[in-house]
Amino acid sequence: MSWTTRIRTVYQAFFLVVFLWLLGRLAVGDPRALPYSAFLHGDPLSAIGVTLAAGTIPGALIWALVLIALTLVFGRVFCGWICPLGTLQQLSSWLFSPRSQRESLQVNRYRRWYALKTYILAALLVAALAGTLQSGLLDPLSLTARALASGLWPLLPGGRPVPGGWLAALLLLVTLVASRWIPRVFCRGFCPLGALLGVFSRFAIFRIHRVSDACNNCKLCAFACQGADEPLGNHRVSECHVCLNCLPGCPENAMSYRALPALPAPPPKPDLSRRYLFGTLLGAFAVAPLLRATGGGRQAARSRLIRPPGALGESEFLQRCVKCSLCQQACPTGALQPAIAQAGVEGFWSPVLVPRRGWCEFACTRCGEVCPTQAISRLTAVRKTGYDGKPPVSIGTAFIDRGRCLPWAMSTPCIVCEEMCPTDPKAIWFEVADEPVRDGAARRLQRPRVDAAKCVGCGICENKCPVGEEAAIRVASVGESRDPLNRLLAGESPS
Amino acid sequence: MTDPYAPRITRREAALRLSAAAVAAAAVGGGAMVFHDRRTVSAAAVPVPDWRVPLPDSAPRAVAARGSDPAANVRRAVSALGGMESFVRRGEVVLIKPNIGWDRLPEQAANTDPHVVAELVRLCLAAGARKVIVTDISCNDPRRCFARSGIGAAAAAAGAEVVEAQRLRMVPAALPGLSAGLEVIEDVLRADRVINVPVVKHHSLSKVTLGMKNWFGVMGKGRNRLHQDIDRALAELGATFRPTLTVVDATRVLVANGPVGGSLADVRAVGALAAGVDPVLCDAWGAAQLGLAPGSLPFIAEAEKRGLGLADLALVRELGTA
Repeated sequence: MSWTTRIRTVYQAFFLVVFLWLLGRLAVGDPRALPYSAFLHGDPLSAIGVTLAAGTIPGALIWALVLIALTLVFGRVFCGWICPLGTLQQLSSWLFSPRSQRESLQVNRYRRWYALKTYILAALLVAALAGTLQSGLLDPLSLTARALASGLWPLLPGGRPVPGGWLAALLLLVTLVASRWIPRVFCRGFCPLGALLGVFSRFAIFRIHRVSDACNNCKLCAFACQGADEPLGNHRVSECHVCLNCLPGCPENAMSYRALPALPAPPPKPDLSRRYLFGTLLGAFAVAPLLRATGGGRQAARSRLIRPPGALGESEFLQRCVKCSLCQQACPTGALQPAIAQAGVEGFWSPVLVPRRGWCEFACTRCGEVCPTQAISRLTAVRKTGYDGKPPVSIGTAFIDRGRCLPWAMSTPCIVCEEMCPTDPKAIWFEVADEPVRDGAARRLQRPRVDAAKCVGCGICENKCPVGEEAAIRVASVGESRDPLNRLLAGESPS
Repeated sequence: MTDPYAPRITRREAALRLSAAAVAAAAVGGGAMVFHDRRTVSAAAVPVPDWRVPLPDSAPRAVAARGSDPAANVRRAVSALGGMESFVRRGEVVLIKPNIGWDRLPEQAANTDPHVVAELVRLCLAAGARKVIVTDISCNDPRRCFARSGIGAAAAAAGAEVVEAQRLRMVPAALPGLSAGLEVIEDVLRADRVINVPVVKHHSLSKVTLGMKNWFGVMGKGRNRLHQDIDRALAELGATFRPTLTVVDATRVLVANGPVGGSLADVRAVGALAAGVDPVLCDAWGAAQLGLAPGSLPFIAEAEKRGLGLADLALVRELGTA
């Protein structure tokens, strides 16, 4: 192994370990304010996507400029040295594909279809401009975090099940298995972030240089080329991952990586057909209104679409959520789950609170703290709970099902919902009534009632209700602070 | 070897093959014997041990101490009972069960005061306990409850092994008279001595939550069904779990919106604490701290009727203010 490969491997291992470690700390609820969303904050695809969709660059996403600057100087070093998905693919192709030299040269040649990622990028950005942000579905950082949070962590000891998590895990698994036949297949053919960085790397100062006098066209430079960027001919710098495998590969020492101020010839552009690109953009423009009109979601408030506390209004929320699953991983009770169908096609994999799995802990503000795009805004515990004197942040309202509730329907004492209620005063109170008992005298019972003006929709009542499967008290999104129209009482004003 | 069309078997070969068959049969049969379960119900419910220690009749059943320092109240009350040495022997494993049910700060009085728990840990270790475990199954997220109640850090600093709910092992326990299928913390069933440390709080169903109600916290899923017949369930818990010592924390009491509370307006600083070997008497004393006559509480009457203790407040030895 040459020293360049060795250094690169150390970098890749370091970033992969940090990525996994942060996800792990998030899952165990480390109370320290670690930079959980650091990777996603530096993601230019999310930054540009959110900017196009929401018209603003939320806070820490400005760090994406650092990665753009890095790419302008060194090329796509992110892909070759940092990206955890790239490292995982490289690991998988190294593990599973012992190839002959001939085969290696074959699989590492450029293919025209690798331009697909540029079409994907164009479609995602145009759809964002039209108002629907879907870049997170294929963004390598979101994809990896999502697959690990939903697909891997539930399998670990103490992990909580995530229904539908296999969908996210499958995408990662297919990518890793496919890299057995085509190394870094996701990077080469599909990655919109790679395509975006490729746009900037065309102007990179440092790049691969071949001294043509020394070269005898032996093609050994392409033997371990990760990006399939043809270092031999007119180097495709926008495809290059700067893995530097071509340098030690060259027996004539004709290859170098250095600052090149003047370019002898413009590097090749991605193989885009103008007609296909036009069709892609047109189609992408149609996607946003189509999803809105026929994909469900966003138009009307949905009763079981309970968003995390501090979530923006549904439109603004969907313009920012990159579906990275960090909030889900951070939720201490496991209440946040990926929306499979609850939020329409547009909101696929956005976070939704499922009270039977967990509840929103009254003074907890973790989801907003880790959200990289502030689709869930940061709250303080004092603000969220209303201890600052203003109304607390509400995510919904609890409703009693009088057909299932033990005191209401079964003449049986029970006070668990009231016992658990965290608000001050409790949103659940009792009316005392004499309930008839079969073959006996009436029984004096406390029947729970919900004070909708006090309820914050945290869902602990639904979670702890002793009535099995469907609880006798259930939370609906109505009354949520984030939506001034999704209201119940005339007098209440959203906080 | 042999011609397959005219198989002939030698005596030697027959003996070898027969013995091989015998060994195989013995292995299969022996294995089946080992794994065979004759019981009709496969999960064996573990009985709940009795953690009480015999004391002379002259010893007080409960003592109450008052003062602004909760740790000093613990020391005075326990020493008036004869010192921790009369309850904990050298080398024993002691489990302390405070109320760590809620994601609340000590000032909000929803959980046992951390100083009380820490002082009990120190006393047990000084009496020679091999290990002191502090645990509870919280209602809110256990990590937040153990951290924000202050009990996790205080007990660990005093030398206890603090076990949060995620790391607990649960086993089916024999709880006659209670819902079937309830599981109990394994550490509780394995402990040599158990000290129950409830905090005095308002409760909408049983009016007050105290020592007998505190046993809810050693049980897992399904415990919320016990509210349907709360007074009988509490007496049943009192009859099932017989602690070495009950320490009722009234450093601060929650007078309304219990057992979660939240508002400081619902908290009264009482600055008192009772320790005793009679769980019914301890609960009666706790109820009195909320201004409730023990006789007005059906669960105390039920427990007294079952002979679990005496609810006569005159039996509490008041040590007064330090």
